[in-house]
Amino acid sequence: MNIIKYELLKLRSKSRGWLGPILVFILIMVAFPLTIEISNNDLGQSFFSVLWIAMLLVMMLATEDIFLEDYNDGSLEQFAISNINLSYVVAAKIFIYWLLIGLPISLLGSLFCLGMTNSIYLASHILPILLVTSYIFINVFSFGNALSLTKGSVLGTLVTLPLLLPLLIVLGKVVISINLNLNYLGFVGLLLGVLSIIIFLIPLIISYIIRAHLE
Amino acid sequence: MHLKVKAKNLSYKINEKKLFHDISFELFSGKAIHVQGDNGSGKTTLLKIICGLTNQVKGDLELKLDKKICFLGHKNALKQYLTVEQNLSLLGVSDHQDLNKHLIEFALNKSLDVTLSNLSFGQQKKIALLRVFLNDSDLLVLDEPCVGLDQQSQKYLCSFINNELTLGKSILFSSHISLDITSEVLNLNK
Repeated sequence: MNIIKYELLKLRSKSRGWLGPILVFILIMVAFPLTIEISNNDLGQSFFSVLWIAMLLVMMLATEDIFLEDYNDGSLEQFAISNINLSYVVAAKIFIYWLLIGLPISLLGSLFCLGMTNSIYLASHILPILLVTSYIFINVFSFGNALSLTKGSVLGTLVTLPLLLPLLIVLGKVVISINLNLNYLGFVGLLLGVLSIIIFLIPLIISYIIRAHLE
Repeated sequence: MHLKVKAKNLSYKINEKKLFHDISFELFSGKAIHVQGDNGSGKTTLLKIICGLTNQVKGDLELKLDKKICFLGHKNALKQYLTVEQNLSLLGVSDHQDLNKHLIEFALNKSLDVTLSNLSFGQQKKIALLRVFLNDSDLLVLDEPCVGLDQQSQKYLCSFINNELTLGKSILFSSHISLDITSEVLNLNK
């Protein structure tokens, strides 16, 4: 619990760390309909592409310094020699980032969906997908940032971005299924399956990467 | 006296450059070892090996500790954008009964609401030292603990370390500044 309190206090105090990505997300979603000249119906068609890409970019931005600050100021060294398992620290960090950034963005995404499509059905069904997807994005980008901890976040992003392309394809299928009133629970199951694996695997891998960086 | 650290023939090299070779020592409870050596001789690396942050290239290291190691490195593990009080809370020492005593000694008791970035390097070092002063460890590993400290604070640190030794704790430290601490010397230049 202490580590969650620690991360929460840190991120809350550094408002640009969590408020910045949320504002960028709002900016993208507000600017999107202003930049194209199509009817409301067509707007709904392209909305989801913009939603997923906006979420992807914002999560990339949000996790840019998830480990860098702690690495630079020596906090990661202290975690590494403490009795707390380093992978637990990493998992807690990812959870707090999701809580302060992923969760609000998912809620906002659902609200924007309601605004664009005028469909409560669609907005309510897209929310759990957004929640799961944002957690997956944060995990994968955290992995990328850990990889390139001392070399800048661009390298890590380049490595991890291709890993998320299959996920974007699945998200496209989910939206089509919801729109056509088809059963989309299989896709949700797939997303939850991916999440249940990476939620344990990625913190473990990151903890080894961090130890390698600390050497 | 209990054996806390036993190092046998420790060696470390970066690429093909040897930092130190065949270093052996034993550290018992209530004893201190002063790691000495020129810049680049491997003092920090040796201390990191003891802490488990770095792996030795060769040799055996045995630690017999009941509690975690208290390590003060070159980095203070403090957040520049937080106040002193918030940093102490992050360090987990804000509720310690002896905290106020050390804060008064370091003249930091009236700076609790000051953002860390507004404090001098020496004052920040003192806050990092509070984690050491309020430790719950068998072994203290201190890498250049006196850098940035004024004479009075250095004396206070020395008296603290000597007191910890009487309590049976083991201390491994490196310092280019001469300190009034009863300790054995481990010279990495040899």
